Amino acid sequence: MEESWRWSSGYTLAGMVTLRRRGQVLTVPVEKNLERMLRDVGILPDTVIVVRNGKIVPLDYRPKDGEEFELIDVISGG
Amino acid sequence: MRCTFCEKEAVLRLRHANLRLCPEHLVARVEKEAKKAVQEFRMFTREEKILVAVSGGKDSLGLWQILTKLGYQADGLYIHLGIEGYSQRSLELCREFARERGLRLEVVRVEDELGAGLDEIARVMHGEPCSHCGTIKRYLMNRSALEGGYAALATGHNLDDEAATLLGNVLQWNLEYLARQYPVLPGRNKLVRKVKPLVYVSEREMAAYCLVSGIRYIYEECPHSAGARSLFLKRVLNELEDEAPSTKISFVKGFLRAHRIFPKAGEAELRDCPICGMPTASSGPCRFCRIRERMKNYAPA
Repeated sequence: MEESWRWSSGYTLAGMVTLRRRGQVLTVPVEKNLERMLRDVGILPDTVIVVRNGKIVPLDYRPKDGEEFELIDVISGG
Repeated sequence: MRCTFCEKEAVLRLRHANLRLCPEHLVARVEKEAKKAVQEFRMFTREEKILVAVSGGKDSLGLWQILTKLGYQADGLYIHLGIEGYSQRSLELCREFARERGLRLEVVRVEDELGAGLDEIARVMHGEPCSHCGTIKRYLMNRSALEGGYAALATGHNLDDEAATLLGNVLQWNLEYLARQYPVLPGRNKLVRKVKPLVYVSEREMAAYCLVSGIRYIYEECPHSAGARSLFLKRVLNELEDEAPSTKISFVKGFLRAHRIFPKAGEAELRDCPICGMPTASSGPCRFCRIRERMKNYAPA
């Protein structure tokens, strides 16, 4: 099945993924790709780079249950 | 997702350029865009010595790497602002970068110059910390470049920085600032030429460039930047970009094409500061010396 299937409670059969961003930890249901998951939690995909084990993960990657990713903000200034 | 240029897996999609890039072609694209800007705006030549202002962030360290790889003679300058914890961590990353590549890094400490670091200056002086920080950095960068005999001072301002500055200037129709906003600010008198080779490179590309090039940079933001107007303007631009990719590059490139329509006010007459001798538009001491005087008279509680 390509699309994860969600119960009305928010539970998803495809599992959960952990996103770490500036000390914050978000646990989010698996979606069809990282871009969709970022949008679901209100993050514009182009404002972060997703990294795992020091390597960039493309936004079209389809995460698997239990995977962890780090989000690196690309916006800086003052 | 395949790279637009080869069979390798792409790590970054650039919607504004309609490209999907593998690490190798990402590096090539960023370096090509920087080289294009250097040549298009005649920023400097390979025979000239360049001083790169580095903060420990992705843009400035990435820029230093790019200029070095392109064969330019680039030294680094780090201004230790005296921001608790943050400044020291940034300095360590700059030192590590320079040491690993055998490059020369000059370090100037604001505390040695003004008797206090930025944390204390922000507490004592009225106004926004970013404004004082800008004054201090511009002064020290120029003085270091001048005294070191550098032909140009390069900063890591990227496409997003330029778009945000432009939006801010347009929203206020600040014609004087619009006329001065350009990738090259020619040198005059004791003011060294200032250049921005990353004007066509987005922040996202620079972060990715550093990650794939193994450049360690500081991820955390300056603690004084919270609530800064430039961050708000960048958020607005990113919303627009998300709806309409290439908004930022079109905005900046369109402005640069139309730049000549903004009337250049006569160059402000510069005098030598009576205290330090550096150029200032003020009739009295320069802003840097005024901060120093203010801090001298301040007795910590």
